Amino acid sequence: MVSSYDLIIIGGGPAGLSAAIYGGRAKLKTLVINKGTIGGLADTTREIVNYPGYKHVSGPDLMKDFQKHAESFKVEFLKEEVISVDFSQEEKQIKTKKGKEFTAKAVILACGSEPRILNIPGEKTLRGSGVAYCATCDAEFFEGEEVVVVGSGDQAIEEGMYITKFARKVTVIVLHDEGILDCNKVSAERAFNNDKMEFVWNSTIEEVLGEENVSGVKIKNLKTGSSSELTCQGVFFFVGMIPSTRFLNDSGIEMDKSGYIPVNDRMETNLEGIYAVGDNRVKYLRQVVSAAGDGATAAVAAERYIEEFSEFNTTILQNDKKILLLFINVLVNESLEFSTLLETILHENSNEYKLLKVDMATKKNLAKKYEIEKVPAVVVLDKGKVIKKLGCSMDKEKLIAQLYSIPIL
Amino acid sequence: MSLEQLKSSRFEEIIYDNCDPCLVIFSRKDCHVCKEVVPMLDELKPQYEGKFGFYYVDVEEDKTLFQRFSLKGVPQVLFFSEGEYRGKAAGKVEEETIEEKIAEVLGL
Repeated sequence: MVSSYDLIIIGGGPAGLSAAIYGGRAKLKTLVINKGTIGGLADTTREIVNYPGYKHVSGPDLMKDFQKHAESFKVEFLKEEVISVDFSQEEKQIKTKKGKEFTAKAVILACGSEPRILNIPGEKTLRGSGVAYCATCDAEFFEGEEVVVVGSGDQAIEEGMYITKFARKVTVIVLHDEGILDCNKVSAERAFNNDKMEFVWNSTIEEVLGEENVSGVKIKNLKTGSSSELTCQGVFFFVGMIPSTRFLNDSGIEMDKSGYIPVNDRMETNLEGIYAVGDNRVKYLRQVVSAAGDGATAAVAAERYIEEFSEFNTTILQNDKKILLLFINVLVNESLEFSTLLETILHENSNEYKLLKVDMATKKNLAKKYEIEKVPAVVVLDKGKVIKKLGCSMDKEKLIAQLYSIPIL
Repeated sequence: MSLEQLKSSRFEEIIYDNCDPCLVIFSRKDCHVCKEVVPMLDELKPQYEGKFGFYYVDVEEDKTLFQRFSLKGVPQVLFFSEGEYRGKAAGKVEEETIEEKIAEVLGL
């Protein structure tokens, strides 16, 4: 059975949950489909100290608050994985791994990102046998042992320091020259002052060594090209993230070569009624606060989009009269004068048309649908079908001729 | 969660005394990957009722168990049959991987 919603949000991280709050508040029938735990990447963050209003909060606690907030606006949640979508129709279709099918008038993609895999020998085969991606989960298993951390971003350095609580020594493999880390300054300073932290500069890892368990890593110096081996019992990879957008590969959604989705300032993708928010879109800052902003923007844009189309469906498609869709812009005087002229003509002549004024400034989707770029413009519709576009002349006779097919004398 | 949690003594009983074919997920509460894998096993369990056991070990509560299998991370799903260790699946495993492994252990 297919269930229908106004708005479906794929992904339940901070961006998706914020969109859900706005969607629910706008009384849209809203569903969040999320494959893992609610909260996305933020749920894996031990502490968050820069979300406004929360001086110090754990990722899971903050995300629980987001979810409760969304639930208070009657948003529904489904724990499932979306495997395919069809965005080519006005009713967007979504299928899950368990075979459930949904349709929605608008869809917000908030799928987030996942850890990047280096694809080096040993990385996959030794996973869980010394290769790890989550310090909170696995640091404890390396009590008194030697651990290598790959990467130097916020996550690498902060998680690396957490691992020093258990491990005897943590060696960080850094791509850059000595002293340069990608992480924030406070964390860098703390890391340099941590006796258990050591750094190997200008280097990367080319192989994880070991049969049953990790026994070491092969380090390649990028400056000299030379390789060396370092004995260790664990390797934690923090080498960045990739967007979780692979399931959209055949959807017609535009993506950059890394898989991030480009959007405009209303979070609109290249497809009508489809929005992308949070970590899976092309953006400058990937934080909870910016993700929340994205979600709000997309939900409001989606709400307006849905409203325009439902209005369109009831007043235009189900009308017995022919519709004159007049596109105006209150800032363009010419379009207002034309509007007055058109109304005069309709008033003086037979009553076979219904006039509908569309303000280009707010009804952008209708303008896009009918490929209207400048005002004034008139589209003649019969039962929703375009019959013709009028030449918007200020010459009354010419206009009458176009409307009533009277030959010009 | 519908998976029965095993403590050391119960673990011995199920795995080595009863010798039933089963899987045991080693997990911990604050591990986000575990939070994805455990519910998946939860949903899979009814399909194998009476044929294959599904159990859970919390590594924070039972350190001896994970040390015994020299595990280096959670989640890890360990498979047993006739009192013998029959392999494991680490990290964010998919449902299909678990199903295949169960079929292999059961000799299907």
